[in-house]
Amino acid sequence: MKRPLIPAFLMVLATACTPEAPPSPAALQTIRLPMGYLPSVQYAPFYVAEARGYFAEEGLALEFDYAFETDGVKLVGANDLPFSLASGEQVLLARQQDLPVVYVLGWWQDYPVAIAASASSGIDDPADLAGRTIGIPLLGGASYIGYAAMMSANGLPLDAATLQVIGFTQAEALQAGQIEAAVVYANNEPIVLASQGFPVNVLRVADYVTLASNGIITNEATLRDDPELVRRMVRAAVRGLQDTLDDPDAAFEICKRFVEGLSGETEAVQRSVLSESLLFWKADRLGYSQPAAWENMQRVMIEAGLLADSQDLAQAYTNEFVP
Amino acid sequence: MARSGRSQSTVDEPLPLRPPGAPARLLFFGLVAAGTLLAWYGLTRWGGLPGFLLPSPAAVGDRFLVALRDGSLVRHTGVTLSEVLAGLGLGVVAGASLGYGLAKSPRAERLLSPYIIASQAVPIVAIAPLLIIWLGPGRPSKILISALIVFFPILISTIAGIRSVPNDLRDLMRSLRATRSQTLRLLEAPAAAPFFLGGLKIGSTLAVIGAVVGEFVGADEGLGFLVNLGRGLYDTALVFTALLVLVAMALGLYSLASVLERKTLRWREVGKDH
Repeated sequence: MKRPLIPAFLMVLATACTPEAPPSPAALQTIRLPMGYLPSVQYAPFYVAEARGYFAEEGLALEFDYAFETDGVKLVGANDLPFSLASGEQVLLARQQDLPVVYVLGWWQDYPVAIAASASSGIDDPADLAGRTIGIPLLGGASYIGYAAMMSANGLPLDAATLQVIGFTQAEALQAGQIEAAVVYANNEPIVLASQGFPVNVLRVADYVTLASNGIITNEATLRDDPELVRRMVRAAVRGLQDTLDDPDAAFEICKRFVEGLSGETEAVQRSVLSESLLFWKADRLGYSQPAAWENMQRVMIEAGLLADSQDLAQAYTNEFVP
Repeated sequence: MARSGRSQSTVDEPLPLRPPGAPARLLFFGLVAAGTLLAWYGLTRWGGLPGFLLPSPAAVGDRFLVALRDGSLVRHTGVTLSEVLAGLGLGVVAGASLGYGLAKSPRAERLLSPYIIASQAVPIVAIAPLLIIWLGPGRPSKILISALIVFFPILISTIAGIRSVPNDLRDLMRSLRATRSQTLRLLEAPAAAPFFLGGLKIGSTLAVIGAVVGEFVGADEGLGFLVNLGRGLYDTALVFTALLVLVAMALGLYSLASVLERKTLRWREVGKDH
């Protein structure tokens, strides 16, 4: 049987003539990337980078793994996975327990945690928080760090307000009047609440102190053995981030392929969530970690009793791979 | 011809199976516990798993002692135990009351059972956040979640127990002109006890799960909170410590229910002897 030489020749020719043709799927290195536990427009830069083939151009195929942040950090710390998304405080907490994780890309330039209070509560300044009852999802993680940082930055002791652990029910608890204020994400709950006709005063932690926020982490073994992998990963993610900032509408459309429920009634709200998130991602040099943000984070965590001692921050993060 | 020097009757009739005595049970329990500890130690020593994924038994022991000495373990255990006992009590009272009513009224059972079964199809973790919004973040929401989990096995076991009473015994009570409460006390309750106590044994362990689910969703006290705290701080030894106390709590409650079962149903053994 004759082999079809002409079609094969044309295919070879076409491949050779395509500029910067991405590697075939079989040649790509699969990267399982733990992120937050639900698909969300807040991961737009990664969806954009994946959809536009930036990861593929770097020889990577991403698998988005929606899981708890701490689980992703543990898997990276154990070198079971090369990367995860994690917030700055998780890196310091993990390193305190001898998990050799290192932060390599500062995606969020500002800490997104805020304290929201009903517009009629009279809380429109951090000093107004004293003596109030504040709902918080849990006594740990980014929410607690954000609260501690807000109080510290404004000279208030941690127990100046009464914290009430309410799980992730801040919006409902605020509307029901069970609490006077809630620790929230500035780019999420205030927008949802406003869309439900419940305007809130928002005190953004980022307006008072700069803290190391969400980014990409890897581990010391990967940094030592395969720094080029880290460089490729960071490069593709930054391209996705830049595209998202340049054209949020296009990014939002791409998000619809990855996130359910972005059409219909929720579309406007979720588009606003993306717009608000962009404010936290902007930077002169995308991906760059500000040393002051790490120093502040460490100080706040020591004051809050979450860190026993100060760490060598040069081991906790690096800007070496940021383009 | 008899073999091995035994009598013919011994060979032909199988030896009755006797439950192992307390020393044998203790020995078996000890062997299983020691084997588990050894396997656990082996995994941490030679399995290549770092301590933050699987802490060694010694690390967990040390963490247990630290939490015990600083009082946090006792405080959080007390909180969870109070929620479990209250939830178990509420679930038992509600399940047994409704179960008795439904057992006595097949019509009511036909009407209500679709709703009761539907309520069990709702994952408790999905409605736990709502319960916390409705009842607030304090202990009542955890008690209710615990009671909701306990409710169904108690309900079903009560219905089965009441329905197990033979009709001729009911006829006998009627012929003796027994009142409703006498029938309940002297016939139905003893007859339903084996079923009910079986349900109680299941419910006692489920009550622990219920309270912890509530604490997972939103709490600043209790063993579920301690598990969350340990996870958040990458203190896996603390997570294991809290889990081991939860296991001990569930085992303790189950054992208490078993003791209650043995004492309550002693009359059945007496009956067999005669």
